[in-house]
Amino acid sequence: MKTTVRAGTVAVPEYYSETRCTWCDGCGNYGIWAAVKYALAGLGLHPWQVCLCYDVGCHGNGSDKIQGYRFHGLHGRVIPFAAGAKLANMKIPVIAFAGDGATFSEGVGHLVHALRSNYPITFVLHNNANYALTTGQATPLTWQGQPMNTSPNGIPERTLPSMDFIFSLEPTFVARGFSGDIKLMTRILKAAIQHRGFAFVEILQACPTYDHFATHEYLLDRYFDANADGHDPGDLQQAKTLAAQAQDRIACGILYQREDIPDFYERLIPRHGLETTCVEEVRKYDVSEYWKELV
Amino acid sequence: MSRISVKIAGASGQGINSIGEIAGKGLKRSGYCVFGYREYPSLIKGGHASYQLDASDERIRSTETKINVLVALNHHGLELNMEDLKENGIVIHMTPGWQFPERHQRLIRERSLQVIYFPVDDILSRLGARPVLANVLVTAFVWSMFDQDINALKSVVREKFAGKKALVELNMQCVDAGYSYADSQERKVTVALPAPDKEFSSHLLVTGSQAMGLGAMHAGVRLYAGYPMTPSSPLLSFIADRENETRMVVKQAEDEITAAHMVSGAMYMGTRALTATSGVGFDLMSEALSLNAMIENPAVFVLAQRPGPATGLPTWTAQGALLQAVHACHGEFTRCVLSVSNSQDAFDLMPVAFNLAEQYQVTVIVLTDKQIADALYTQEPYDLEKADIYRGKLVTDPGELQALTAADRYDPGAADGISPRWLPGSQAATYCAQGDEHDSTGAVDETGANNKAQTEKRMQKFRTLKAGLPEPCLCLAGNGKQGHSWMDDGDEIELLVIGWGSTGDAMQDVMCSQELRDRKIAYLHYTYLWPLCTEKLQNLAGRSKRIVLAEQNYQGQLGMLIKMECGLDIPDKILKYDGRPFFYDEVLSLLLEKVTGPATRSRVTGSAPAGQENPRDPGRPSS
Repeated sequence: MKTTVRAGTVAVPEYYSETRCTWCDGCGNYGIWAAVKYALAGLGLHPWQVCLCYDVGCHGNGSDKIQGYRFHGLHGRVIPFAAGAKLANMKIPVIAFAGDGATFSEGVGHLVHALRSNYPITFVLHNNANYALTTGQATPLTWQGQPMNTSPNGIPERTLPSMDFIFSLEPTFVARGFSGDIKLMTRILKAAIQHRGFAFVEILQACPTYDHFATHEYLLDRYFDANADGHDPGDLQQAKTLAAQAQDRIACGILYQREDIPDFYERLIPRHGLETTCVEEVRKYDVSEYWKELV
Repeated sequence: MSRISVKIAGASGQGINSIGEIAGKGLKRSGYCVFGYREYPSLIKGGHASYQLDASDERIRSTETKINVLVALNHHGLELNMEDLKENGIVIHMTPGWQFPERHQRLIRERSLQVIYFPVDDILSRLGARPVLANVLVTAFVWSMFDQDINALKSVVREKFAGKKALVELNMQCVDAGYSYADSQERKVTVALPAPDKEFSSHLLVTGSQAMGLGAMHAGVRLYAGYPMTPSSPLLSFIADRENETRMVVKQAEDEITAAHMVSGAMYMGTRALTATSGVGFDLMSEALSLNAMIENPAVFVLAQRPGPATGLPTWTAQGALLQAVHACHGEFTRCVLSVSNSQDAFDLMPVAFNLAEQYQVTVIVLTDKQIADALYTQEPYDLEKADIYRGKLVTDPGELQALTAADRYDPGAADGISPRWLPGSQAATYCAQGDEHDSTGAVDETGANNKAQTEKRMQKFRTLKAGLPEPCLCLAGNGKQGHSWMDDGDEIELLVIGWGSTGDAMQDVMCSQELRDRKIAYLHYTYLWPLCTEKLQNLAGRSKRIVLAEQNYQGQLGMLIKMECGLDIPDKILKYDGRPFFYDEVLSLLLEKVTGPATRSRVTGSAPAGQENPRDPGRPSS
């Protein structure tokens, strides 16, 4: 169930908020924030036509720095809330944002089931490789051996191979962006929002305060647009290889996409042929037919 | 009122439920009020289980501990349930060559029990039928003992196996064989039933879970997300089984946290969505409860109680989660807790719960328990005109939407604490449903003045809500004979009983009993448990000789809330915490004991005496 691009133009300033920004100088959130606004406006979506759901973390502090119907929830739980919202009203594009800590620790179960359910939502992973809002603890994506707050000797656990993990769950859309390239992120987000099912978008994000390993410069030196290099998102094997390689060169762009898999809602047999949404269907129902067999 | 009870006992998986359901439906259609009660362990095959049917020509809604007929499908059924039989009771068993132990032989003599061996295996092999057909065979045998029309039974069986022609044929043969076996006996044993009341034949036979599911559909619930957990699972199954007719979105979530957040998201978007769980699952859901309080999102969570702590007794009943429902979560905020009591209000309260949730923008926790969830009620067809859909301050009019500003959403100036709500997709100013403390637009605001104002806004809803909730209902013993009540004469109440939830139905049956006809006993039943209204209670307490609290928990949790809210202390308590519901005869004798025994006056206490300073080192083992 794809989001259709609206006719007419929407100006980016419609998304402008009076709330003052509070992110650190050089924070990757500024770039992501800009790209989200460009993508939504570029798709012809007015703020009142979208639902933006934020998890907890520095990215979540952006929930009041943009227009749109927004939600700012609890740590790790943004996916089920966003999925419930979307299933209730398929006419509204729903985008869920979360950091790497919440996504791969407390909320990892939700991520697994979102991928296998293929919920028709966009998921944007703000990957700055640490819990920044709680002052720089290690997440499952922090590099092993990297001293962090609460792990002065580096984490004893292995770093989670996140892209291998994602691909093991048979995703239908995987993309990777870099917070320093707004144009690339905008292209990715526009495609993600229009994707048929669950769109997983990882944004590698600089955190100048706590991430002293995968810095803005580090990422800038290594990232490249794989699509511009000729990568075909339909090529699963190459997508997996590119996604997992994040050492010398980091492949960004739309790494993988298939549109032939129905999303969760499309698979709900009771909803077939219905034009209305659950929101529109709220009224009193005559249930006497359902109790006939109980007499 | 005359009532009889039949208990079918055996191993889980032996088809006890089908016998209970077929016989129950047959009796109900013949004009009896049936109440079905199930006991079963938390396993699939084996273990001891039972299904008891109590039937009467008048309205009943409870179970007796003593039974008229025991149908024992295996010898464990005999060993464990012989003691339950009343004087002149009947035992039907299927164990060839069974020798009753000495104590049971004595019981048979003392209580003049009649023992019938019903050779199920012989009859089945003669018919060439599989063991699973024993259910129908046994049911038909019992049916003939009740002296009921064989065709009535046949039509129930035919419906149950509709569409499976070969199976219907064989089942009919079993009905004939079971029914005629009784006639072939030299001395036909019969159980006398009272004359039927045909009104019951058009009633429904529903479990509390089915009633709640129907109520939810009626209330406009369009999305259900849940994770299986007894005793909430039958609600999930019932709703899922009808999804092709209702066309609802049904999601079996990966856990209760997911279910709670999914329905919260769906409610935020603007539909009506429901989830249900039991205590352990509710623990997981409680973070969403707190979240919804902060974003002032309406929600309805069903909490189906069973004994805890931990997984406790999964398939048994309790009322131990009242304080959990009232107090779960961090932070101070307004919620509403109500409890269903039977198949009537399990239906009626679903629209009410959603209306309250949307009108006050709060979470409504609807308590039920295993007893209500699983019990089989004879229920008159629901009145579909009674409920209306109220959505509170939901703005949908385009003109009104245009006039809104973001600051209207959480406006702390709303006198009743309730501010306008509008839905994503509405062409209007947008806002943030903000989990952090926020200003009127949902923008984060950490100032002290704002925190104070928004806290007061959320807590103002408690006062508004409390003012809008009904007081508890009163049910009187010996009432309604000439349309005149002793209560109206201002008489002293001999005994005032206070309870809630599934306790209510046993109490109401007892209030209707002959034994209490001349007693001035009143039962006060709480449906709306939080915020707790105590004015009516305090008025009644003032004219009561004795007050007793009846609850299915250890602490007397409603009593604790009553004391907390109005200072009324009720030291006299009937507390049951063995996983079993209140039984009719048990409650009757307890209440008779209370009215004849020495009185313990309830009192309004001042401050408790100061405790002595404890010189002990806490945590040090006492030698």
